[in-house]
Amino acid sequence: MYTLLLQSAEDVAREIARLQHGYQFLSYGLIVAWLLLVGYVLMMVARERKLKREIESLKAMLESTSSGSRQSPSR
Amino acid sequence: MRNKLLYLIGAAAILLLARDIYAIIGLPEEVNQGIIFKIIFFHVPMAITALTCALVAFCASVAFLVTKNFNYDALAVSVTEVGLAFLAGNLITGSIWGRVAWGIWWTWDARLTSALVCWLLYAGYLMLRRAIEEPTQRATFAAVFSIFAFIDVPIVIFSIKWWRTQHPAPVFWGGGSMPHDWYAIWAWNVLAMMLVGVVFTAVRLRQEEFQREIDSLRRMAHAL
Repeated sequence: MYTLLLQSAEDVAREIARLQHGYQFLSYGLIVAWLLLVGYVLMMVARERKLKREIESLKAMLESTSSGSRQSPSR
Repeated sequence: MRNKLLYLIGAAAILLLARDIYAIIGLPEEVNQGIIFKIIFFHVPMAITALTCALVAFCASVAFLVTKNFNYDALAVSVTEVGLAFLAGNLITGSIWGRVAWGIWWTWDARLTSALVCWLLYAGYLMLRRAIEEPTQRATFAAVFSIFAFIDVPIVIFSIKWWRTQHPAPVFWGGGSMPHDWYAIWAWNVLAMMLVGVVFTAVRLRQEEFQREIDSLRRMAHAL
């Protein structure tokens, strides 16, 4: 009887360890998958900001160049 | 209008994913694999989204070579980059599943190797684009490379049918089965991932438009 109880306690401990192992790796998998997608989103946001800044600076440069060339004949 | 539609699709995808995650948490363990089996609800939808992206890239590349319309080139690069992100997610989740199910992170079997080669090919596609300055030449070379890279996609899909692999046989077209409610959650997650892919591609396409605007502004600046 005592041996049986001991055996079942060992089984329970083994089962808990197996479950924890599974949960641990499942959470790793899901965290990595979501981090990857979130990282990609952040990369796209950063790239979009950079592109918008570049467009603004190019437009400003073109405007200043064209206004400078319009003013230059009257000088 | 386009932005509103994007927000709407994005919100639908997030709601679907949240609902699916809640449903997946509530599912019981699978008899043989235990709790780690639940990774299939993300691993396979990510693969389906990635390979769909590869198919769209292939079609867009063919369309570019036929029409020389740069919108197709922009679509090809956008969808390839998004597909690469999803394929990376697929490879990583698969590797984590393998660590529990097989006791190893990686094995050089036909499915895993062909999927890794697929990822490397599409990464090479993006690197090739960075290496060529002239837009027409870049788009043409990239389109040819994308068509060549697509040869690997059927190999990835059918490798588990053609060869004996350590990777499990397909659940849905290899004689396996899943309870109906599990299958429904899985199918909804495929839809959610596809919607996320559509939103990412649309955002990336807009960036390609910005890039073209920058190129034309630079040309104007050089002309002045």
